[in-house]
Amino acid sequence: MASVEAPSAGSPRRSALRRVGRSEWLWGVLFAAPAVVLIVYFVAYPVGTVVYYGFTRWNGLSPAEWVGVHNYRTLMDDQVFRQALRNNFLFALSVPIQLTVPLLLAYLIHVRIPGWAFFRATFFIPATIATVVVGIVAYSTFQVTGALNSLLGAVGLDGLQHDWLATSRTSIPLILLVVVWANFGYNVLIYLAGMSALDPALEEAARMDGAGPWKTLMWVVAPNLRRVMELVLVTSTVTAFAYMFTYIYVITNGGPGFDTNVAEFQIYYQWFTNGNAGYACAMATLLLIITTILGLVQIRVLTRRAA
Amino acid sequence: MSREGSTGRALRFPATQRWPLVAGMVLLSASAFFPLYVMASNAFRSNLDWADSQIGLPTTSDLAAFSRAWDGASIGSSFVNSVEIALGTVALTLAVATMAAYSCSKIGWRPRNWVFLFLLVWIVVPPLVLLVPVYIELASLPLLHTNLLDSKLGIVLVYTSVNLPFNVYLMTAYFRSLPDELLEAARIDGATIPETFAFVMVPLARPALATLAIFNFLWAWNEFMFALFILTSTSTKPLTVAVQQLQGRFDQDPTGLMAGLCIATLPVIGVYLIFQRHLVRAITAGVGK
Repeated sequence: MASVEAPSAGSPRRSALRRVGRSEWLWGVLFAAPAVVLIVYFVAYPVGTVVYYGFTRWNGLSPAEWVGVHNYRTLMDDQVFRQALRNNFLFALSVPIQLTVPLLLAYLIHVRIPGWAFFRATFFIPATIATVVVGIVAYSTFQVTGALNSLLGAVGLDGLQHDWLATSRTSIPLILLVVVWANFGYNVLIYLAGMSALDPALEEAARMDGAGPWKTLMWVVAPNLRRVMELVLVTSTVTAFAYMFTYIYVITNGGPGFDTNVAEFQIYYQWFTNGNAGYACAMATLLLIITTILGLVQIRVLTRRAA
Repeated sequence: MSREGSTGRALRFPATQRWPLVAGMVLLSASAFFPLYVMASNAFRSNLDWADSQIGLPTTSDLAAFSRAWDGASIGSSFVNSVEIALGTVALTLAVATMAAYSCSKIGWRPRNWVFLFLLVWIVVPPLVLLVPVYIELASLPLLHTNLLDSKLGIVLVYTSVNLPFNVYLMTAYFRSLPDELLEAARIDGATIPETFAFVMVPLARPALATLAIFNFLWAWNEFMFALFILTSTSTKPLTVAVQQLQGRFDQDPTGLMAGLCIATLPVIGVYLIFQRHLVRAITAGVGK
């Protein structure tokens, strides 16, 4: 900043400015250093090793053997991994729900619907419960002797009783529901933050023009929340691809068979159960490429937001 | 920050729509309490009663399940571990992220935008991709040759690093929203760059710091995957790992499991509910910028 404003004045002044410039470099480097070191050490370097081992045959212990793109060729015909990725895309169906339902809920709180303060407090409760706890309760509820079936029995709907987690026809929608439920409170809060930062004059003007609450939401509030909506869009997309491990690990363990498998779980399975560390690294690299493509959109959005 | 009682209130839904909407929101709120109900009601049930039914209020009530969970999963020491790990992560993350964000937004060195971009891009890395290389790294830290496996310091370093991109982004966005005139004023008063940071920027950043403290605390408190593999001994493992190990005994002792979940969950929800007004305001204030 200082150097931009530098006038081409006499030499004493200029040397003072240069000194300022130098100290800005010194402190700039020093203040950024801890973050850069941590990122390099625990994120960038590990990512590099994963990409490297993706080109090797390796069991995780003995020295790795370079095999070129062999793992990727195997990956092309890997039906199990393909199904895992397909499941990831199914879980991405949560994205349109996360985009719209929390927007509506936040808006109702924003316009002070009766009980709004209570709703605002309770909607965030799921986000405070650990994923592993959410998963265990979901497992206990949906398993064959669980609460859902007892409830159906108690109200006389025995015909609907079902081993909910035994087939992907019911287990995938239920896990999807659990993921949506666990995260919607965050999105409501993010939308609320966006709404409270809106210029009140906008809504006031809409009201003057005789617009009702729905029209105001559709034509005034939502369009002005585009950046917040983009943020919710990309974070919930990344959730569907990069944060499913704990849910699957606790609720179905990928089963029955590989029915509820996701990419993360398959990587874990190949690595720990089958000892195919090199192959697991190739799958991890592919997953990383997918999230990077999704993330390029995200970073574009985020940097535009920050600018 | 709060807009209580401003324009919003003027917008009213017709009564025919308002009450169905309220009813829908009541149902959603009830769903937020459902797992708490499942945990709490079943923790007081006997295992015999459980086999009979898991809905309705328990017909028996005793605290035996709680003591089984407490002893069986060393819940007490796990609780302390979780608190230490979460607080350590919050402290380190806020310090490192705030410094980096200051450097990327308010210190006038040329490559600051490139440094910001470098810190941000890692936001796309799925944590699972890092699990094994980080595990191998912790077993013998490159250059330092120390073993941080199964240590709380190790996991705090990992948690902090994995979440840095997000934290640096939010903090930088917040600093950029502050006017440069504040810095100019400090400079005219003769403050050096670190003095400006400590006495001008950090106090101004308090709303964003509160938001990030909450996010990071919840994240570290709830994290499971890294903890499962990296923290294995009783003296280090956090609550999430302890209760998951109770799940292994689910068939023999479901009510003990539920009691363990209660102990792990209710304190956080209690703290949240006590401070929720404050917390919700803090979160919206820090993100809204």
